[in-house]
Amino acid sequence: MQTTHPQAFDRDDVLFAPVLRTGRGFYAAVAVLLAVAAWGAYAYTTQLRYGLGVTGLNRPVAWGFYIVNFVFFIGISHAGTLISAILRLCNAEWRRPITRAAETITVLVLFFGLGSIIIDLGRPDRLFYVLQYGRLQSPLLWDVTSITTYLTASTLYLYMPLIPDLALLRDRARGWRRQLYTAISLGWRGTPEQHRRLERGIAVMAVLVIPIAVSVHTVVSWVFSMTLQPMWKSTIFGPYFVTGAIFSGMAALIIAMAAVRRAYHLENYLKPVHFNSLALLLLTMSLLWFYFTFAEHLTAYYGGELAEGAVLFAKVTGPYAPEFWAMVVLNLVIPLAIMANRRTRTVAGIVTASASVLVGMWLERYLIVVPTLANPRLPYARGLYFPTWVEWSITAGAFALFILLYMVFTKLFPIISIWEVREGRELGIQEAYERIESYLPGPGVGAGGPIALR
Amino acid sequence: MARWGMVIDLDRCTGCQACVVTCKAENNVPVVTPREAQAGRLMLWMTVIPEVEGEFPRVRARFTPRPCMQCDHPPCVKVCPVQAMTKSPEGTVSHVFARCIGCRFCVQACPYGVTYFNWQAPTWPKDLRESLNPDFAIRPTGVVEMCDFCHHRLQHAREEARAEERDVRGEGEYVPACVQACPARALIFGDLDDPNTAASNLAHSPRAFRMLEDLGTSPKVYYLKEG
Amino acid sequence: MKLTRRGFLGWTGAVAAAAAGAQTVRAIGDLQAATYEAELPPRGIEGWVASVCQQCPGGCGILVRTITGVEDGVKRAVKIEGNPHHPISRGSICPKGLAGLQALYDPDRLRGPLKRTGGRGQGQWQPVSWDEAIATVVQHLQGLRARGEAHTLLLMAGQVRGLMQSLLLRFLDAYGSPNYLSTASGCEAAQQTLLLTQGIAAPIASDLENSAYILSFGAGLLEAGWSPVRQARAYGHLRQGTPGRRGRLVQVEPRLSVTAAKADEWIPVRPGTDGALALAMAHVIVSEGLFDREFVEAWTFGFEDWRDPAGTTHLGFRSLVLNDYRPEAVSAVTGVPIQTIVRVAREFAATRPAVALAERGAGFYTNGLYNRLAIHALNALVGSIEIPGGTVIQRRPPLTPLPPVTRDAAAVRGLAAPRIDGAGTSNSPLASSALPWLPEALRTGSPYRPNALFLCYANPAYSVPEFVRSPDLLDRIPLIVSFSPFPDETSRHADLILPDHTYLERWQDDPIEATWGPAVLGLRQPAIPPRHQTRHTGDVLIQIAQGLGGAVAAAFPWKDFGEVLKGSLRDVAGTQRGLIMTTPFEEARQRRQADAGFWLPTYKTFDEFWSQVAERGGWWDPAYSFGDRERAFRTASGKFEFFSQTLRQRLETLARRGPASGGGLEGVLRALDIRARGDRVFLPHHEAPRFVGDEKEFPLHLIMSKPMSLASTRTANHAWLAEIPDVRTSRPWEIAVEINPETAHKLGVKDGDEVWLESPAGRLRLRARLYQGIAPEVVHVPFGSGHGAGGRFAEAWGANPNRLVGGEADRLAGTPALFATRVRITKA
Ligand SMILES: Nc1nc2c(c(=O)[nH]1)N[C@H]1C(S)=C(S)[C@@H](COP(=O)(O)OP(=O)(O)OC[C@H]3O[C@@H](n4cnc5c(=O)[nH]c(N)nc54)[C@H](O)[C@@H]3O)O[C@H]1N2
Ligand SMILES: Nc1nc2c(c(=O)[nH]1)N[C@H]1C(S)=C(S)[C@@H](COP(=O)(O)OP(=O)(O)OC[C@H]3O[C@@H](n4cnc5c(=O)[nH]c(N)nc54)[C@H](O)[C@@H]3O)O[C@H]1N2
Ligand code: SF4
Ligand code: SF4
Ligand code: SF4
Ligand code: SF4
Ligand code: SF4
Ligand SMILES: [Mo]
Repeated sequence: MQTTHPQAFDRDDVLFAPVLRTGRGFYAAVAVLLAVAAWGAYAYTTQLRYGLGVTGLNRPVAWGFYIVNFVFFIGISHAGTLISAILRLCNAEWRRPITRAAETITVLVLFFGLGSIIIDLGRPDRLFYVLQYGRLQSPLLWDVTSITTYLTASTLYLYMPLIPDLALLRDRARGWRRQLYTAISLGWRGTPEQHRRLERGIAVMAVLVIPIAVSVHTVVSWVFSMTLQPMWKSTIFGPYFVTGAIFSGMAALIIAMAAVRRAYHLENYLKPVHFNSLALLLLTMSLLWFYFTFAEHLTAYYGGELAEGAVLFAKVTGPYAPEFWAMVVLNLVIPLAIMANRRTRTVAGIVTASASVLVGMWLERYLIVVPTLANPRLPYARGLYFPTWVEWSITAGAFALFILLYMVFTKLFPIISIWEVREGRELGIQEAYERIESYLPGPGVGAGGPIALR
Repeated sequence: MARWGMVIDLDRCTGCQACVVTCKAENNVPVVTPREAQAGRLMLWMTVIPEVEGEFPRVRARFTPRPCMQCDHPPCVKVCPVQAMTKSPEGTVSHVFARCIGCRFCVQACPYGVTYFNWQAPTWPKDLRESLNPDFAIRPTGVVEMCDFCHHRLQHAREEARAEERDVRGEGEYVPACVQACPARALIFGDLDDPNTAASNLAHSPRAFRMLEDLGTSPKVYYLKEG
Repeated sequence: MKLTRRGFLGWTGAVAAAAAGAQTVRAIGDLQAATYEAELPPRGIEGWVASVCQQCPGGCGILVRTITGVEDGVKRAVKIEGNPHHPISRGSICPKGLAGLQALYDPDRLRGPLKRTGGRGQGQWQPVSWDEAIATVVQHLQGLRARGEAHTLLLMAGQVRGLMQSLLLRFLDAYGSPNYLSTASGCEAAQQTLLLTQGIAAPIASDLENSAYILSFGAGLLEAGWSPVRQARAYGHLRQGTPGRRGRLVQVEPRLSVTAAKADEWIPVRPGTDGALALAMAHVIVSEGLFDREFVEAWTFGFEDWRDPAGTTHLGFRSLVLNDYRPEAVSAVTGVPIQTIVRVAREFAATRPAVALAERGAGFYTNGLYNRLAIHALNALVGSIEIPGGTVIQRRPPLTPLPPVTRDAAAVRGLAAPRIDGAGTSNSPLASSALPWLPEALRTGSPYRPNALFLCYANPAYSVPEFVRSPDLLDRIPLIVSFSPFPDETSRHADLILPDHTYLERWQDDPIEATWGPAVLGLRQPAIPPRHQTRHTGDVLIQIAQGLGGAVAAAFPWKDFGEVLKGSLRDVAGTQRGLIMTTPFEEARQRRQADAGFWLPTYKTFDEFWSQVAERGGWWDPAYSFGDRERAFRTASGKFEFFSQTLRQRLETLARRGPASGGGLEGVLRALDIRARGDRVFLPHHEAPRFVGDEKEFPLHLIMSKPMSLASTRTANHAWLAEIPDVRTSRPWEIAVEINPETAHKLGVKDGDEVWLESPAGRLRLRARLYQGIAPEVVHVPFGSGHGAGGRFAEAWGANPNRLVGGEADRLAGTPALFATRVRITKA
């Protein structure tokens, strides 16, 4: 590959730095996270040993934190592959420094989504019965299928754009790392042929991955909406879940970006403009989310059906009201207040809004799962749900482990796609020029002309 | 082929709960500690639900026994990822403990809330263990269980009928434990497709209704309203 | 290695991770371990044993399914079901009966005789041999007899009947003590009603199945009463039994009990005022001329005003109700609207057959017996006595009488002593046992100090308020022997426990006593051999008697209880009537034959009879001759007596005999705290009830009931029942106080709050349940939980309302006024 900006190469050093050098803070963070994760694992062994009785689950609330986490994690996964694919297909140039960070989230978090389900099982030792005796009619089986597909696709989609960077690393690293990068960079030399194939592959994957991603969260929503439970049986649950997923995913992405930017001094790559663009998207999603939420609750209210009403009022004015209104504030009021205002739409502001959205979206998942179960159609077994230390610990452990793995990833692979950034630099200027050209007054060049020519 | 069903006469039921206890005994349903029970983990495949309406002194109370509705279109069966919930050709819904992975999807799918999960391994004081019914396995931890119309009794009746090379009779031969115990004779059981059984006749009575009928689950448990 | 901070943190994490890893591996190992896997209880050869339940006085027939293990040869009882041949239950059974397995396999039951080692009530025991235990008892009893103190042996029994009760009475008779005390004396008042009105000391039974109108004054038909299962079956029959006909049930009661809930009408009444209500209904029936003229004229005494041989005019029932019980006045007393009184009275009189029932709801007040008399008077008004669908007198099976007892001098002397509780005297002239006065006797040592106490099927430290609050009163008795198979509250105070078999391990007869007309004799037999070193109390009694030697031994000439039992059945086999329990179909056939004059027994020899009875579960005689007035009216007048000459005679005898009360009849009435004077004393009337606790300070009435799934101490340790205590308001393992929401609101109490219930006698912490089905001035606590002993489950939950119950009694009947206590509620 040819480089036209030598000084740019120097600047990109900072992208290699995290992989090649590790500071003290990193280990400290690892230790803390490891301890939390280990505590979570311990909690899980308690659960294995004594059964799910150690949780706060009961009748009628037979699903709790684990299923909430499952939905939440799968939601987060939409941060990556889906956003990156959309941006790629739209040729959004500003995407270049953020796709990798996003895709990584997807791949890692999917494990936690699946893991949450396994943690929730009464008999994890019988997991493989799902393959052995699987019943195609069961939405849970659809879930298993779509999530594994998504995981495979996302892994490929993460891996393919990584190859050129692996080659770059291969040339810089030594010792076991060198061997590792040599093995997994699959003999990348950067030949035009290789480039052509890679780009084609990425493009195909990007197209494929979008319906898969959409299907994943739709199917997740169907786990609920295929039942007859009040406020679950909803036709808009599919898009509602997908919207929520992208919404929370973007918030997660923003926070991840901010974190690596800070930790690895990537201010020159992840610029306010990136945050700004994402913030506007997040804002859109926030409104979209609110639209769905409103529609969902209005229909429940307006119909006046008793069972639905019970759930609705449990959320709005009943025992779940604090969580409900917190959710509205966190998902709508705060993001709107911060991001609709140019003055507060700073990196810090955006990150704050994203954190708010993350918590809010977790609460949203909680409020979908728990109040419905606590207010079943027949008023016989009403219940409340108070998670025990086991659920808190496992949840904390899962989050800690996720962050840990993400951190480790940044130590093995560049979290910003180096070759794409470089490519962007070259193409970007030219492209921008051509694009401007395309709509500037002048002869001969119609809309789309230069792009079509290219 | 028979289509087994139950009719519950709310006019007759006195809320005595004999059906509840006999079911526990018949099916080795574990007892939980007071703390667990408070936490909502009581296991009663059959329960009697009291409903009180009105204000003093004009008050009415009704007692509704609630087994599994044995739906003809059972949502619990559809959602089970491992086919542990099954519907037999005769229409009875039962559950294969040995296969259940404990996902509790069936619990969410059942609009009647009749499925129970084993939150922990059942424990029986040594002496009480002696009285367990040998016809029925003790469930391990982590699996769901629910009323299966005393499936082992059907099997038993079937074996006897097979020995005589005939079908199980539509009435009287296969009788679930709760139906057998009921002092007020509020529970009536039989083949719903056989017009000669009391159960099928009562199921067509003008007093008959089914729980949450509009959901389309087609329960095979019919209720007869008071009066 | 140099330990840097970074290294330290890293290591910590690594160690934690490794530890967690190891844990996970271990836990997964556990997961595969046997306890996690499904297991099948031992299989074996199936058997069915016919027997009789004894969880309550119902007397239902049961079939016990047994499995004899193929591998270990052990016979296990795995299920109790109803015996379809038994006429009381016809295959039905109630939750208590089903839970009997948990009595048999009670993990906390006693496994052999025990001798107390620690202090009284501390529950420290040491196993002893049966021989030693029996020798100890014999020695003590011999000493008493030698000192001329045979009468100081007290025998306290609860719900026990048939030969077992005969043996207990016989033992006292031969030994020489008049002191048979009954914890079940509260249920005895039903006998007194019949004694005073019909001259027969037997409980009132009724032919519920055939009734068209049941007017129940607080009878727990669908939960308690004499035979909950039979009553529930009768109810089912009443409801949907006959096509096109639906009998009516009206329940009078301060709270919406299960019976009230299932009734066509619920009439909330002020506690203790049932008598007034019944008499107001009588007023309507009499004033509107709706009564059964024919019956009243021919078969009753004291309806009209009458003149005695001496020429004095006496008040008749007609004038009494017409003058004293106008619905307007009674409505104010009872809280029942006038229109309701009038309407129900008319319905009751217009529907035939109709029956009025009284149980302890109306009876557990200071005016209990008068209430019962008033209610039974309604039956007489409409002629519902000894007719199908009316009240009947249960026939007894024709058992071979036990040979008479020849008393020795010590016995004669002992029996001549007064009863320790003064039953039959001005304490309680009609009672055969008056437990409410025992605590006082123990406290004061008057008329004498008891020296020994036998406890059989009775647990006063749970069921009798005084003994609940101060069980140490019992400690004044030098020797207490308990025969209970379970470590209950009272047995804790015993010196010796000689545990009986449970009812599923022994032979016993069970004659139905107070349920319906026909004679029924159930046979209880071991479902499995005794599991522990327990012994049939009947056998132990025989052994003690034989140890005592002389005339006492001579009165017990049997090898064991089994011999008594078999011997007593000989006459039954030979009566040439009745039949061995069988299917209704077979019964009908046999009855047709018998009606045609052929009594064709299914057996030839006694042994055949015996083995058939054992196989089927009992014998009964379906024939009941309604309308046998000779049998039904044994009064001086030979009629139903509105004006009870029996009562008059008893009270006048007392007045003549008793210097204790001084001034003649007036003195007696004062001692009995009866306020009426003149003829009213002997007529059903409303005595204003007395209550424990001042109305201002304690504004609420505390009432109790026996829910279907609890039976005092017998079901105390059954976890299955603790999960479903009361179908209306209870949660699993919870006994709550029911409060009307309006009252609760005033007190600031919300559903599920913990509250204190306080009475002058004590206080109790409970959870409150708001319930629209209870009168605002009344609160209700189910009876049967809250045990201080008796096993792990018994002690784990509930509350015993007896802690609050004050010491009032119906002095005339000698029964405790258990519902006559006022309480107040405060938030805990
Ligand atoms: N399940 C069960 N059955 C039993 C027993 C048992 O322990 N458990 N025990 C047996 C024995 S020993 C007996 S004595 C019988 C007792 O049988 P019952 O006397 O029929 O039953 P209880 O429940 O004690 O009756 C008390 C009822 O009276 C009502 N009551 C209270 N105050 C008043 C009042 O002022 N007026 C009226 N009208 N009603 C009032 C209460 O609400 C309650 O429902 O049951 C027998 N059967
Ligand atoms: N507050 C309040 N108190 C009440 C009542 C009420 O309604 N409210 N009801 C009253 C009435 S009606 C009654 S009848 C009494 C009942 O009170 P009790 O007559 O004292 O009856 P239980 O409490 O059932 O005690 C029965 C005893 O028999 C023992 N036992 C069980 N099985 C056997 C056996 O096979 N053999 C022997 N030898 N013993 C055995 C048990 O361990 C237990 O100790 O309570 C009275 N007390
Ligand atoms: S809990 Fe068991 S039976 Fe229910 S859906 Fe899951 S695997 Fe099937
Ligand atoms: S009642 Fe519930 S568990 Fe029973 S068949 Fe219907 S859906 Fe399934
Ligand atoms: S049919 Fe059998 S399993 Fe179902 S409630 Fe009745 S006794 Fe229980
Ligand atoms: S056994 Fe019969 S009467 Fe009793 S609660 Fe059950 S259905 Fe009702
Ligand atoms: S009613 Fe009494 S005798 Fe009959 S089964 Fe129930 S507890 Fe036993
Ligand atoms: Mo009693």
